[in-house]
Amino acid sequence: MVMGIVYALVNVLVFVLLAPFYDGVARRLTARVQSRKGPPLRQPYLDILKLLGKENVISAEGWPFRLAPLSAFASILAVIVLVPLGAKANILSHRADVITVVYLLALGGVSVLLGALASRNTFAMIGASREMMTMIMIEPVLAMTLIMTAVKVNSLGLQGAMAGVSASGFGLSTGLMLAVYLLALQAFVAKQPFDIAEAEIEVLEGPFIEYSGPNYALFKLSMMLKQMFYAFLFVSVFLPAAGTGVYPLDILIQLAAILAVFVLIAVVGSTNPRLRIDQAVRYYAVLIFLSLCAVGLALKGL
Amino acid sequence: MNAVEVARKLKEEFGAAVRATDSPSPDRLFIDVERAVLRPVSNRIAALGGRYIVSIGYDEIARNGTLGLVHTFAFDADHWAAAVRTSAPASDPLFDSITPDIPNAGWSEREYMDLLGMKFVGHPKPKRLILADDWPEGVHPLRKEVPYNLVPPAAEDVAYRLDEAPEGTAVIPIGPFHSSLHEPEHFAVYVDGETIKGCDYRGFMTHRGIEKLCQTQVSYNEVPFVAERICGICGSVHATTYAQAVEAAAGIRISRRAEYIRTVILEIERLHSHLLWLGVAGHLIGFDTVFMQAWRVRERIMWLSERITGNRKTYGMVVIGGVRRDITPEIAKEIEEVLAGVEKETLVLKKSIIGDTSIHRRTKGVGVISKEESVRWSLVGPVARARGIDIDVRRDHPYAAYDDMTFDVPVVTSEDVWGTLVVRVLEIFEAIKILRQALRNMPSDGPLLAEVGEALPPLRHAFSLVEAPRGEAAHYVITGEENRPERWRVRAPSYPNLQAVPLMLLGDQFADFPIILGSIDPCFSCTDRVAVIDARTGRRRVLGRQELENISRRGKG
Repeated sequence: MVMGIVYALVNVLVFVLLAPFYDGVARRLTARVQSRKGPPLRQPYLDILKLLGKENVISAEGWPFRLAPLSAFASILAVIVLVPLGAKANILSHRADVITVVYLLALGGVSVLLGALASRNTFAMIGASREMMTMIMIEPVLAMTLIMTAVKVNSLGLQGAMAGVSASGFGLSTGLMLAVYLLALQAFVAKQPFDIAEAEIEVLEGPFIEYSGPNYALFKLSMMLKQMFYAFLFVSVFLPAAGTGVYPLDILIQLAAILAVFVLIAVVGSTNPRLRIDQAVRYYAVLIFLSLCAVGLALKGL
Repeated sequence: MNAVEVARKLKEEFGAAVRATDSPSPDRLFIDVERAVLRPVSNRIAALGGRYIVSIGYDEIARNGTLGLVHTFAFDADHWAAAVRTSAPASDPLFDSITPDIPNAGWSEREYMDLLGMKFVGHPKPKRLILADDWPEGVHPLRKEVPYNLVPPAAEDVAYRLDEAPEGTAVIPIGPFHSSLHEPEHFAVYVDGETIKGCDYRGFMTHRGIEKLCQTQVSYNEVPFVAERICGICGSVHATTYAQAVEAAAGIRISRRAEYIRTVILEIERLHSHLLWLGVAGHLIGFDTVFMQAWRVRERIMWLSERITGNRKTYGMVVIGGVRRDITPEIAKEIEEVLAGVEKETLVLKKSIIGDTSIHRRTKGVGVISKEESVRWSLVGPVARARGIDIDVRRDHPYAAYDDMTFDVPVVTSEDVWGTLVVRVLEIFEAIKILRQALRNMPSDGPLLAEVGEALPPLRHAFSLVEAPRGEAAHYVITGEENRPERWRVRAPSYPNLQAVPLMLLGDQFADFPIILGSIDPCFSCTDRVAVIDARTGRRRVLGRQELENISRRGKG
């Protein structure tokens, strides 16, 4: 019981403290690919602190605009507290299932939409419509990933599902889903070529254009947490071999693996131009189809 | 068809309405016509193969009570250019608009409605183009009677009326400040979902009054340095074009060595500009690695420019009669070394860009405008060459030492942004080729600066063309009596190309807006060089933070 609470707290601490670090690594790597020196690794921390220290400019009327950053942050925090970091289920993991995670992640996306629509800015509107399309097309891939593992262990429980691959071993379905997940990774974390909703050059950060100060800091931190979560999900679902049984060691191994995923994200992100939303949607459609195939294979026991 | 034949043909067809023809050199023909036949003569010249360049309006009220108007045309295949001149009394400044037939004349004509008070019958869009929205009616700043430093009182609550939005579309305001513009301009993009259905443009927001300034305040020799500041990227082009126009008007011959040095400077400028654009294009499609790498390579060129001229940009090399600095054998050697490095690195860039299918996806079939439309719209430079139009001033109207150079003019027929990209990448290698030849064949003697007589003959007309990195630059000079040009008209390559952007945007995705606009490498400051506008509003007050916030929030809908 006590340990269950401790594990949950460790989750939050590890994620909130390290997400900016991973972001810094990605920025640094991107810079290296571009023959730049890049900002110091602590830069994302400083960015967030700086934003938190600024005045909170509320440029739109109504409560949705104020609520959006809070609910975005809260929902991703809720996701993080549930997951079994270091392969240890905490007090909350037992009570959550796969559907909870998918729901909470969708809530984060909806929060962004809410804030964008509430800001009534033209560019935010375009960004929001792109974000919506991305959500509709990419959330199913995430859901299918978790459902596939759930099928493998015959349980929707989060802890079981996340260990589904290690329980049943690698099969055809896992291989296919792993490939699909990697292909969708840039879209999950909203990095190039799929940073379409925020496209700085045409829609000026889209949904976030009217946000500044602490509100924006919350969005920024939520984005970083989301990125780290998707990297973590990949690591814990598809690289289950890391289990040594020693809790701190398992966490370290997972964190190292997450770092490797971020290297991948940075390299792919810096070697691709941004796609247009119509091109991206076609791409996502293929991914959805493939992920459905993977679930089908899992049902066949492959 | 050469100049003599065209002159004869026009005289035959229009009889006495063609008052005189004058050919001061084999590659120029000035045709003076009656106002009534301006449009048919212009159309005839266009039909004979003349590519519309620009129109020039000028004030001769003090001399004979008229306003003069010139339309210029280039016959690229036959290496010459024509100017059709006419005039109208200032009391009745009516001209037939040629815009319905030659759409690219649209801006020129609107410019003279604003600046000289001319009226064009049949102009399809007689809206204000250049003057600020609160500029008083009836004050035409390019008229000689208007002082260069006139500051009319600012008016409130006046705004440009955008074109009517097509049914079922939303307006996305791009500008006056937007991260894909780099300069203050306003595009109202009409979109249906993400598809662009139309676009209106309101530009000319950063007028500096350069033409008026140079016609009233500075002297011939100072103008090149002002001209160089028209554009931050192709400054030497404008200095050269102006210097050549004055040299042609006054009959000044410059030494061969000076011509070679001008060629070297112009090509170095092209290298920097092409690499700059390549980087910006990468940025505009969200590919910052291309941006950074292209600019890293470009940095060598910037270093080289500083080595040669003392400046990374705005070289200050070209003056009337020649150039200001020499290229010594030591510097020539350094240029060769830099070129070798740039060539090697650009080859790597070229390979990774041309072969990258993700770049194909963002540029192929984007910003399409057909070859026929491009000819009709008189497009120039890489934008035209990407549409299969084989023109290049360096080859078609040789200036400086380009007649000695052998080089290819890359032309592709894909008619889209991808084509523009390919053309500009290939031109980098052609520029390197030209530079090597120029350094190898440069005559070792000859003065850098030719002797220029005390006074230049007044009221002579001349114009010159130069291939800027973005396309053709054209300057028209009428020499004056007070040691400065009576009239100096600058037309940068963005001026014709920008006018066709709404056409290129039509039916494309909104996400492609930045790269389509970027593909013409628009230089707004180049198009914004005319008129006397002073940024001061006459009133001075300091806005508090609260006020600024209120203003910034008020505009939301």
